[in-house]
Amino acid sequence: MSQMPKQFISVSSQEEALAQLDAHGEELQILAGGTDLMVQLQQSGQRAQRLLHIENIPGLRNITCNGVTGIGALCTHRQIAESTSLDNYRSLRQAAAQVGGWQTQMVGTIGGNVVNASPAADTLPPLLIHNARVTLVSQSGGSRAVELGRFLLGRRQTDRRHDELVSGITLARRPERGRDCYIKVGRRSATEVAIVGLAACVTPGRDGRTLEDVRLAICSVCPMPKRLYEVEHLMQGEEISEALLEEAGEIMLKHIDPIDDVRASKRYRSMVAPRVLKHAIACCIENVSGDLRPWN
Amino acid sequence: MELIFRVNGRSERLELQGHETLLDVLRNDLCLTGTKDGCREGECGACTVLVNGRAVDSCIYAAMAAYDADIETVEGLAKNAGLNSLQNAFAESGGVQCGFCTPGFLMMLTALLDKYPHPDRDLVRDALSGNICRCTGYAQIEEAVARHVEQRSGE
Repeated sequence: MSQMPKQFISVSSQEEALAQLDAHGEELQILAGGTDLMVQLQQSGQRAQRLLHIENIPGLRNITCNGVTGIGALCTHRQIAESTSLDNYRSLRQAAAQVGGWQTQMVGTIGGNVVNASPAADTLPPLLIHNARVTLVSQSGGSRAVELGRFLLGRRQTDRRHDELVSGITLARRPERGRDCYIKVGRRSATEVAIVGLAACVTPGRDGRTLEDVRLAICSVCPMPKRLYEVEHLMQGEEISEALLEEAGEIMLKHIDPIDDVRASKRYRSMVAPRVLKHAIACCIENVSGDLRPWN
Repeated sequence: MELIFRVNGRSERLELQGHETLLDVLRNDLCLTGTKDGCREGECGACTVLVNGRAVDSCIYAAMAAYDADIETVEGLAKNAGLNSLQNAFAESGGVQCGFCTPGFLMMLTALLDKYPHPDRDLVRDALSGNICRCTGYAQIEEAVARHVEQRSGE
């Protein structure tokens, strides 16, 4: 370590990373794949901050599925997109496959996506509908797990303390008959930052007409990706109908208050988001029972 | 701080500040200007190089993160015998027009073909979604890949 340069510290073990964070956490920017951070650094021109390069820590790249599904913080988007062991979390695989182009997916990590807390982070809506928990470790405090919804405090703000490292994400078990998907609207297919990104997990009732369970989360339309609890409550247990979907869209808009920005106007987002919601629910339902689309 | 790595098989040792991008180091310190400087934000793919076999946008990759790594750039593709088979396929299919995006496409495809030697058209399109070309309309590039795959399986 003594020979390593000051502006860029590369660690090869978690212990080493935690020791650095414990001693200098406030001055260190954690660098994993860097696909977000390097852009920010170049655009803001901030060169003062020191980089703690964690990409080479072994053991944080695993996806484990014994009871609880765990995803190491350094798992890359491409790794997740191609991981058949995440078949129960299709929305997450779909989202990971749409984070930038392959170049970004090959180095960008899920831990980075979570900690950067971008309003447009594709992986966050799928993680939110699967009740993800973020595991943080530190030298002094051991380990703690926080619900993702509580971990995300605001635009690019999280509950991570300066001495902590996000080591992984755990996902709740998917409802047994639930089917999920992630729908993204952007100008270019892959490299574009989403205008609207929406994840849904729907469990159809055994009668084939009602919605037993609905989970929804959205990104890119409001300052923070978030669960749409109000819409979920509206739909839970109800019979699927055009009227229900219309009402769901209206309630969603009331609670997200779409933003206006360079990628799209508030008006466009207000028009497209309810359609995305409808489409996402249709995709989930179709996966379960073929052509059953009672609202068509 | 010191960066030691291998570029196209050759060992390099450089003195850096610490925040430099791999793109700037390749172009400015090593004069390997085949790797193009396009958007500088990981959108266009013109700066794609291989780091230990992974295709990365070198404009948003920290050079120091490549410590001890093997880097391949477009300059490493052509051997003594001339252009490699993929490069020839690009030339024969008209996959090169202004040429600015070509090194990035070649490197992305090199990584793809290493992992999937017989990609179908959908996979090729998906893998190239992070590379922008404003001249060819992509059709000739797809054709070049098909030609290359065909020629190689005929060998």
